[in-house]
Amino acid sequence: MSYLTLSLGLLGIFSAFLFFYLLKFKASIKQTNRGNRIRWNSYIPYKEKKPNKGKNKEFKDTSFKDN
Amino acid sequence: MSQHQALNKLGRSGNPIIRSAAFQDKVSSSEEKMSLEGAVNKTSIMLFLTVITATISWNFQGPLMSIVSAIGALAGFVSGIMTFGFYFFFVGWIVKPRPHNAPRTAPIYAVGMGFIIGIISQQAESFYPGIVIQAVSLTFFVATSLLLAYKTGFIKPTQNFMLMIFAATMGIFLTYIVSLIFSLFTGNHFLIITGNGNMSILFSVVVVCIAALNLVLDFDIIEQSAEQGAPKYMEWFGAMALMATLIWLYIEILRLLMKLRSR
Repeated sequence: MSYLTLSLGLLGIFSAFLFFYLLKFKASIKQTNRGNRIRWNSYIPYKEKKPNKGKNKEFKDTSFKDN
Repeated sequence: MSQHQALNKLGRSGNPIIRSAAFQDKVSSSEEKMSLEGAVNKTSIMLFLTVITATISWNFQGPLMSIVSAIGALAGFVSGIMTFGFYFFFVGWIVKPRPHNAPRTAPIYAVGMGFIIGIISQQAESFYPGIVIQAVSLTFFVATSLLLAYKTGFIKPTQNFMLMIFAATMGIFLTYIVSLIFSLFTGNHFLIITGNGNMSILFSVVVVCIAALNLVLDFDIIEQSAEQGAPKYMEWFGAMALMATLIWLYIEILRLLMKLRSR
């Protein structure tokens, strides 16, 4: 193994650990508190939660008939 | 006592049923939210799966592994489309993005891409020994540098930044598709993609830069989704987007190093 490969390998291991360590931290206020941020939720649609069918059924069963 | 404090103290219902229901709702909604920690864990799981399958396809070369890898690549490609969607110039979204599919598609994507990476890496290593370690290390070095630049606010992704990166990325993929079609009909490849001349190396450097800048967008998706309390499945979506870019960056760095060493 050449000296270049070995030194790059060590750099890679250090970088990989640092990458996963830094990823857990929140970004600085300089990054998060600005007006020109990309609004990702307008591009990536979150799926709406479906209403609980069991609860609706309870109301449907209740019928009032005029005799 | 201020109005706000009064509402806090007196405005809440004393009814135990209402109080417990409200509390349960709050707990359940907080349980389903995305977190940065969760996205990191999912990225680690995906990376682990990719490394495992890449190691398998590296060590067990043969016709059976070629078939398995082809199936894996197809499954990875389909799961990528099922999650990120499929966009084409002047046509728009052919398949719309479906992030809620990510918890099911992300592991398939990681496994499938692992098989392909293993084969590509093994081929590259047989020609140029030590090149895979160099490419992996440079990929993580570039990713960490950009993550640091993003977290500190040195690089600020804006709407214009996103449009430029998106257009450049689509341009690169269009070039690759045209090159593939050209090679199918003529048997020749575009020298700018496969050659080792100055222009070809410059092209590779530009592609590496675009792939690296795509990472900034992935970091922003993860950060903002966690901030806004996006659903839990967005952890998988963010991890999958990050992994897709890391894999692309690795392949482009590998290609660039191969070009440089073949001169």
